[in-house]
Amino acid sequence: MKIERIAIANRGEVAVRIIKACEELGIETVLLHSEVDIQTRAYRMADHKICIGPATTSESYLNIQANIDGALAGQAQAIHPGFGFLSENADFAQACIDAGLIFIGPSPKATRTLGDKVSCKELAKKLGLPLVPGYQGDNQEISFLVAEAEKIGFPVIVKAAAGEGGRGMKVLRDKKSASELIESAQREAQSAFGSPKVFLEKYLDKAKHIEFQIFGDVTGKVIHLNDRECSVQRRHQKIIEEAMSPSISQELRREMGQAACLIAESASYQGAGTVEFLLQDGKYYLLEVNTRLQVEHPVTEMVMGVDLVKAQILTAMKKNVFDAREMLSPRGQSIECRIYAENPFLGGVPSTGKLGLVLWPEGPGRRFEYGFDEGDEITSFYDPMIAKVIVWDETRIRAIQKMKKVLSESVVFGVHTNIPFLQEILSHPDFINGTMTTRFIDQYFSEPITKFELNKNEKEITEKTIRLLAPQTQQSNTTITQSPFNSYWRNA
Amino acid sequence: MNPFLIELNGKTVKVYAQKIKGETWLHMNGRTFIYQDEAQQQMKKKGKQSAHAGDLIAPMPGKVTKILKQSGDSVTKGEVVVVMEAMKMEYTLKSDGNGLIKTVNCKVGEQVSLGKILVHIEATHETT
Repeated sequence: MKIERIAIANRGEVAVRIIKACEELGIETVLLHSEVDIQTRAYRMADHKICIGPATTSESYLNIQANIDGALAGQAQAIHPGFGFLSENADFAQACIDAGLIFIGPSPKATRTLGDKVSCKELAKKLGLPLVPGYQGDNQEISFLVAEAEKIGFPVIVKAAAGEGGRGMKVLRDKKSASELIESAQREAQSAFGSPKVFLEKYLDKAKHIEFQIFGDVTGKVIHLNDRECSVQRRHQKIIEEAMSPSISQELRREMGQAACLIAESASYQGAGTVEFLLQDGKYYLLEVNTRLQVEHPVTEMVMGVDLVKAQILTAMKKNVFDAREMLSPRGQSIECRIYAENPFLGGVPSTGKLGLVLWPEGPGRRFEYGFDEGDEITSFYDPMIAKVIVWDETRIRAIQKMKKVLSESVVFGVHTNIPFLQEILSHPDFINGTMTTRFIDQYFSEPITKFELNKNEKEITEKTIRLLAPQTQQSNTTITQSPFNSYWRNA
Repeated sequence: MNPFLIELNGKTVKVYAQKIKGETWLHMNGRTFIYQDEAQQQMKKKGKQSAHAGDLIAPMPGKVTKILKQSGDSVTKGEVVVVMEAMKMEYTLKSDGNGLIKTVNCKVGEQVSLGKILVHIEATHETT
């Protein structure tokens, strides 16, 4: 079966990524975009564009019917959901099927089984996979909960059942203070979420985030393409990812990889997915399964020599992929840095506005995934991630060095970026040693980074440049020799 | 855009520079920054003085999601006064010092622009 045209239900850099894969396969694209997203790279690159609604995500990118209608109007045979938005929405996958469209991703049933945290944990339990020990029952008596906490083993975290993120969480360190803290957590849960119900979970205070890229092919077989480590997170948002993890032995890798394939295969998973684990003291616990392409998929592509988006599309066309399985062995190390539009000197507050000059310094082992060029607007409607910088090198330390070099040559004017923050992380001993945990940012970067001062020479150079930039001295520009070495930059 | 090649003490430094909305953005020696001349720096300093030391100013455009204090309340240094949301993320605005809330100039749900004074705080003298 051949797909001739694919609708893209997404925006930004991932929309560009999908367009590139489609172009290589000779497939036309239909970009389903919001009203404000007409000045973006994906809009300029797509073969066809259909506006599906206003800027507000609930009325456009999250609106199932608008996306279906757009895809049909654009005469697409399939929809690629990218990541985020509707990518893990089983109702959307079902709506695609009902409308006669191919949803590029797992079946609605597989998405429901693995994407829903409760049913995923039930399945894992049935398969004997390790989960973070905890109590999620209805008995909310203090003495009972204290006993449960003791059973789990301190430290234990109390979470509001109706809560989200880190709100209302408390860490129980011992039995003595436990009842008081549980009571207070219940009170807070009541006032914040309207329900006093709390959950208990073992508190992993020095865990690493390790995940496995899985892929289910048309035959029903699920393989894994090794692991990524994404321990560098802020407020549960990943910042730096790498493949493979510097923290696990071959033996543990084999074991965790098998666990990842097992749960996916038992849910009849098809296409690309990710099984996330937490690892502490040599023990791993299943966290969740993401039933979609992942933001950090490029690091896996770099070390495994594969194209996951192409593989997704080919699988949707019922074609076999990754035939020579024994040939899929990893090579070298790849790191990804997410570039966020934010001000690192003000603790990461979002920075919006029109982009000025944007330069991504290309070179061997460097890859740039971005959705915006000079003149495009970064608005506060959407995610602040404006680009991803990915490097590959033979060893981890060389990959770190390369990333630092690439970031130092990357230029983004008009909005602030987290590049200075990334540079500090890349220089931190815990990151260099590969010993970072999910608490790394909290531990070392809880305060905004310090603004740098220009030295005397830099001040002088700045003054000289400013004089050259001023319109009244335009003529002196002609005396400047143009660098013969600047051919690498892209005229964006 | 071609970079400027600036010579200083026999060395050549590559500089990218662009004027955007009255500000000059520069990139050199691996870093990006905004240039402010002496006059602009003075203006900024003056601007800061005209706002009261303890005032809470919106650091970005976004929505006010929570106001934890009302006028007349006292605040201590580091205490959260306002919670804002932008780009799917939450930001807490804390008091710079000990003081008394004089006025609250925003409402929950309000979309505020960058630089708006959200809460006016009068500093109280430190007691030991």
